[in-house]
Order: sequence, then structure tokens, then C-alpha cells
Amino acid sequence: MTDGPDARRPRDLPRGPDALGEAEMRRPPDELDSGGVAGQAHRPARRSFLRGAIGAGVAGIAAGGAGGVAAGYAYRSSPPAPAADAAALAAAQGRLPPVAFQGSHQAGILRPPAPQTAVVSFDVVAQGRAELTDLLRTITSRARFLTRGGTPPPVGISAPPSDSGILGPTIVPDGLTITAAVGASLFDGRYGLGPQRPAGLTAMLPFPNDALDEAQCQGDLVLQISGGHADVVLHALRDITRHTRGGMQVRWRIDGFLSPGRPAGTTPRNLLGFMDGIANPGVTVAAQMNRLVWVQPGQAGQPAWTAGGSYLVVRLIRMFTEFWDRVAITEQENMIGRRRDTGAPLDGNNEFDIPDYAADPTGDVIPLAAHMRLANPRTQQTASSRILRRAHNYDRGIDEVGDLDMGLIFTCYQQDIKRQFEAVQKRLIGEPLVDYISPFGGGYFFALPGVTDNTDFLGKGMLA
Amino acid sequence: MPVRGGWLVAISLALVIVGSACSSAPAESNRVAVSTGACGGRWQPSTPGWRTFEVYNGSTAGAEVELINPASGAIYALIEGMGPATTRPMRIDLGSGSYAFRCLIEDTDAITGPVTRIPGHRRGASAIVPVTIADLLGPAREYHAYVTAGLRVLTRQTGTLVRDIQRGDLAAARAAWLPAHLTYERLGAAYGTFGDFDNKIDGRPDGLAGGVASPHFTGFYRLEYGLWHGQSAAELRGPAGRLARAVRGLRAAFPQMEIALLDLGLRTHEILENALQFQLTGHDDYGSGTTLATTAANITGTRELLRILHPLLITRYRNLPAVDSSLDLLRRLVDAERTPGGRWVPVRNLGTITRERIDAAAGQALQVLAPIAVIFEPRRTQ
Repeated sequence: MTDGPDARRPRDLPRGPDALGEAEMRRPPDELDSGGVAGQAHRPARRSFLRGAIGAGVAGIAAGGAGGVAAGYAYRSSPPAPAADAAALAAAQGRLPPVAFQGSHQAGILRPPAPQTAVVSFDVVAQGRAELTDLLRTITSRARFLTRGGTPPPVGISAPPSDSGILGPTIVPDGLTITAAVGASLFDGRYGLGPQRPAGLTAMLPFPNDALDEAQCQGDLVLQISGGHADVVLHALRDITRHTRGGMQVRWRIDGFLSPGRPAGTTPRNLLGFMDGIANPGVTVAAQMNRLVWVQPGQAGQPAWTAGGSYLVVRLIRMFTEFWDRVAITEQENMIGRRRDTGAPLDGNNEFDIPDYAADPTGDVIPLAAHMRLANPRTQQTASSRILRRAHNYDRGIDEVGDLDMGLIFTCYQQDIKRQFEAVQKRLIGEPLVDYISPFGGGYFFALPGVTDNTDFLGKGMLA
Repeated sequence: MPVRGGWLVAISLALVIVGSACSSAPAESNRVAVSTGACGGRWQPSTPGWRTFEVYNGSTAGAEVELINPASGAIYALIEGMGPATTRPMRIDLGSGSYAFRCLIEDTDAITGPVTRIPGHRRGASAIVPVTIADLLGPAREYHAYVTAGLRVLTRQTGTLVRDIQRGDLAAARAAWLPAHLTYERLGAAYGTFGDFDNKIDGRPDGLAGGVASPHFTGFYRLEYGLWHGQSAAELRGPAGRLARAVRGLRAAFPQMEIALLDLGLRTHEILENALQFQLTGHDDYGSGTTLATTAANITGTRELLRILHPLLITRYRNLPAVDSSLDLLRRLVDAERTPGGRWVPVRNLGTITRERIDAAAGQALQVLAPIAVIFEPRRTQ
């Protein structure tokens, strides 16, 4: 007998209105929307190029002329088009539209996870505050250029080529975002930044089920570079590191990818086979983002410069996929709290059905220790502990016994690590899932406020 | 520069250069055609800014096309090795000043086209006076003398090391190994010149069947491996004798060896590229844990080369002060890992931050050294 998703019996448990507001919770993840933040990203390529050219002219960086050339190309090749057409065109060309670099928040935070990413943690070795300032200015100007695209300047007979060339003669942004966040160690006194440390920014707390490798934890500065394809991400990484040698040194690095929705239109799956991040808070609801993600102006205990930034937690989590694949499907689903095939909560039929824990107080349908239920119990008390998940899968070779080294690059943004990530993580201590996963690296960071104009740079407020 | 040759060249060249301004302004007539015996032509408009020339080699031979400052001969932009009937773009940020195309067709005299002036006071791409073969003869002689002096010291120090092994005093041999090896490592720029001697004196076991146990593994690293892995004097006498012979052979042959002129510029970063790849990673630590000492010796070798090239470099490389400061920093960081007793810390024992600082300084030094190799590529100028 076959029992496909459509044949499943409707659940018979009663369901009441959700404590958090049904409308908001029922929304599909905003990453699938075309409005709001996504709309900002889907600006016509031509306009972005032009804006880039003007910006570069004002900044007077070497890439300035290059931006001008890009504008020229854009004029010839792309007629004026509404946003949707530009997005369709970009998709047809196999690349994502450019994402505006400037804004009050960094552009890579609320956006849906990109198909490819690299999370790279650096230790800053710049000597003194002036060199640190130079470093952050350089990262900013490279990010500005790379996210806009253009033609790298020729160097004549004076130097090796100014660009690695892996994207061809003209750099396409392909949805590139470069998100910068600082670690607590940057505030240790080397740069006189002690008083500027964001309140609550510490080294990552080790949890009982962690097996942290110091060499893959923390760092003074972490960059998450994301884009449509791996070559765009690596191009940006090579560009930034070549321009910042002597200022910072890679401490650890991990590359990740986002699986496409399977079936199409569903939330992407992690390497345990389950959809990951279905119940994210809606990023288009500004008030909600102000409650959950952004540090607010005048927030108690926070240095003023932190407003508009967000706390970033990175957790590198190995998944023991061989072991997991030897586990019965019902046990897998009970550990997660959702169906593997449809992503539906165990008490529902569809991916975006809201689990009704109140109707299932003893966990007969969704076990009390299911990952989903512990992570987000959906009560009034736990509403303020919600986080904005931004996870990617990773896959990097094998371990000592020849098992596949793959897992999750868990990243999440929040207004307060203690109130949010740590509260969630504490609820998860000892969950049945811990036998199949092992967090081994990552760190706590503070994602800097956005760069608002051409004279601004990442961390300017912190250094003021 | 084009090196194809040996066949007769019909002098029917037609280099066509078409410039396209990179703005939204209407296309202006700035097409330049070159016919037999001419290069470029008067191109218009004479406005500054970014421009892309489409350069067409209509001759039947390989060509090099340069955009030069006709007064100084300095090169703004360059296309090398253009095959016949090919078109290549030349992108350039034109500032105010004088420009001319210069074409170097294989086996013919260089032709300089008419001069175009761009008025005003706008700064564009800067030009560099090319380094010629003649410019490099003096530095090559000077470097030859430096190596000759180094080989004299190397012969003496290697003699001490080999004698210690021959008479079975391995403790003394371990003490004598490092000075001799470092003397060799200071000669960095000459590896290419040494030919097979380099492999006999400083070869790695990589690529040898059996690795460190291979009978073909010889030289300093072979002795290091034995001296720091409990091998007996009897086992080491053979390799020691081979090292001594190789060093004597090199010293005898070197007066007849010529330093490749291209190497002078290349080695300014390649010595330290090797240090980063083989010493700072610990790859070339065969037991003594002295790869930081080797790195320091490589810095000395790099500095010697820079000293010799300095008169040519000072007018051509604006970032020279950054080269000095980055090498100073690297040297300081490396030297700090020498204990008061004179022992070097093996790189594997370095703390994370110390190691990161050293690697970052090496990366920074390499980044600012790299342009020198390009600047010092000897170019044909007539």
C-alpha cells in the first residue's frame, strides 16, 4: 500500500489560534517573496551599474574608471527594463542581480541565503588603530566594487594583473553580498576598543554537547561572502585577501551551499534530508526585525555605534550522516518534529502548517524533545527568543575513518545572544538529535551597521 | 616580447588601431589605421579618460604594440606577442600628456607612430620606463660577485660539516649543518643558474620513489634528515661526500655560469614564495626545526637582490618603501622566535597568533614584491 503525502489522513487534533499571531506565522518564508527586501535586490542591473559608476567617481578609487566602463557596456547591452524583467534576464543569464551594498543595515543579513557562501574568520594583525582603520576601509572599498561589478583597471607593465581573472574580463556581481562582523577579541585592548565592545559580545559559550576545536572557533573579524555561484564567492575572497595582506590573516574558513527546494518551491533541505528554517520570522515585517534582529538606537547598555547592527552566531555543525541514514524514518521524524518528505509538522499536512503544541501537551504527536518543538515552543514567553536562521550546508571531504565530513554552517542573527540564541540552545541541550550532530566550531560576532554613503566604511562608528 | 623567429618575414604590416571612448558620448572618429611601415596614426579625439583601443595586427609576423610617452620612452600600456591577423583590446586611462604607439614587428626595426597630445592637467595611468637588457648587465655582474663570495664561504662551511661526519662527531656535525645550509639559502637568486647542482645540494625527497629513503635524496636536507633521525655516521658518509663534491663542483663551474637576466627581477619575490611554501609551512623541516632560520636567510638573499637593483627600481616603483618596511617586519617577527640560546622555534610549535603574524607579514611582503618582477622583465626597445 502506498501512502503518499496527498493520501495522508487529515489530522484530527483540535487547533486553536496561534499565540504569536496566526497571520504572521502562516506566512511562507519571505525569502520566497518577490517584494520587500528581495525587491530591493531585484533592481535593474543597468541602474545599479550606473549608480556604481557615480559612486566610484566620488570615492576616487582605482576601480572608478572601471565602473564607468561597466556603465558603458550596460548601456549598450541592456535596454531599460522593469525590475521583474531585469531579474528574469539575470536568471536567464545564469546569475543573480546585483545587491546594493549601501544601506543602514548590511545587505547580506535579511536576504535569503544565497546558493553559495564562504564563512571566513580572520585574526587582525594590523598594528595599531590607524592600520585597523585602513583595513576596514579597504574591505569596504573592495566590497563596494565587487558587489557592483565592473572591469578591473589594467596595470600596464607596472604589476601583475589587478584581478585574478576567474570571472573573466568584466566582474559580474551575481548577487554577491559581503557581510562583516567583529569578534569579542577585537576589543581586547590592542586597538583601544575596549569601551566600544558591544554589550553581550563574548567568546562563544561552549554547550554540553559541543566538541569545539579552538582552531575553528572565534576570530577578530568574520566575513560571510555569498553569491550565486562558487566562482563569484571565491573571486571576492581572493580579491579581499590580496588587498588586505599584512592586515589580517585567515584563521578558519568553511564553504557552504544552499540546496534548491526539492520539490521546487519548498524550503531547502539540510544534509539530514529535512527542510531547514521553515519557521523563520518574516523579514519584511520591519517591526519584527526591530524586535528580533537589529540593535536599536539607545538600546540599554549598548555603545551608540552598534545601532543598526546585529549579533551573529556561527556554529559549524558536523552531521554524522552515515549514522543518521541507519536510523528508521519515524525515529528521524520524531527527532526533528516534521515529516521528512513534505516538511509538514507531525501534527499537520503541509510545510507551513503551524504545529499546535497546546493541543499536544504530552507530546503524543510531536515529541516534547523534538528539535523543532524545543527550538521554538511558540509560546508568548519564548517569542522574544526567536532568531533569524541563515543556514548553509557544508561538505568537505572525509574524516579519520573515511566517513563523509558534511554538515551545517548554522548562522543566525539576533538582537541579543543571551536572550535569543543561548536561550534556544539551552532548551536544546540533550535533545535526541545530539547523537547525530557535533558542533565543532564557529563563534559569536557582531555584524557591523551598514555603510550609508561613499565616505562611510564598515566599523566607522566603532572607531570614531 | 615576441620570440618567434627563424622564418622570413614579409614586411607587409598593417596595424590598425581603433580607439573607443568609454563614455556615453557619441562615438567620435578616432580610428587609426596603420599601413606598411607605419604604426598607429593620429587618433582623435584628444580627450582624457578611459579608452579601449582595438589593436589589429595586419602584418604577417608577430608584433608587440606599446603606447608610450614619446619623450621619455616610458610605456603606458603594452600588448605582447600579438599573432598575425589578431585583434586585442588595449585599455588605458589616458591623462594629459603626449602619447604615441610604438610597434615592434619581429625581425624589423621598431616603428613609432605620430605623437598625439592630450591637453589639460588630468592625471591618468602612469608610465614606466622599460628596463632593458643593457640595464641589467651591471646588476647581473654584481650579483655574480655576491654569489662567488658566498660560494667561497659555503665551501669552507660544508667542508667543516663533512669532516665532522667523516670522523663520526655527529654532535659537531649538527652544529655545523645550519651555518652551511643558511649560507646556501642566502644565494637564493641563483638557483636557476646552478642547474642540476641545486638539486644535488638542496634537493627535496618529494618526487623520489621511497622519499627520504631514496638513494637519490642528497644534499643538505638529506644530511639534516639523518642527523636528526638517529642515523649513524657510517650511513651519512656517502651523502656527506656527495654534498662536498657538489659544492666543490658548483664553485668550480660558477665562473662560467651566467645569471639569467630575467631571474634578477623574478627572484625578488620567488625566493620568499619558496620560503612561504616550504619553510613557513614546515614542509622543509627534516628534523632540525630551523625553517625560520632558513626564512631569515631567504630574506637576506632577497634584500641583497633589492640592494643591487635599487638604482633601477627607485625611479620605477613607487611602493618601494612598503617593500622595505614589510621585509623589516617579517625579519623582526622571525628573529623574535630565536631563543636567547640561539635555537630556533620550529614552526609547528608557534602559537596561533605568532604564526598568523609571521604568515601575514610574509604575504604582505610578497604582495608588494610581486610588481618588481613585472617591472624588471627586460623589454625590447628598438
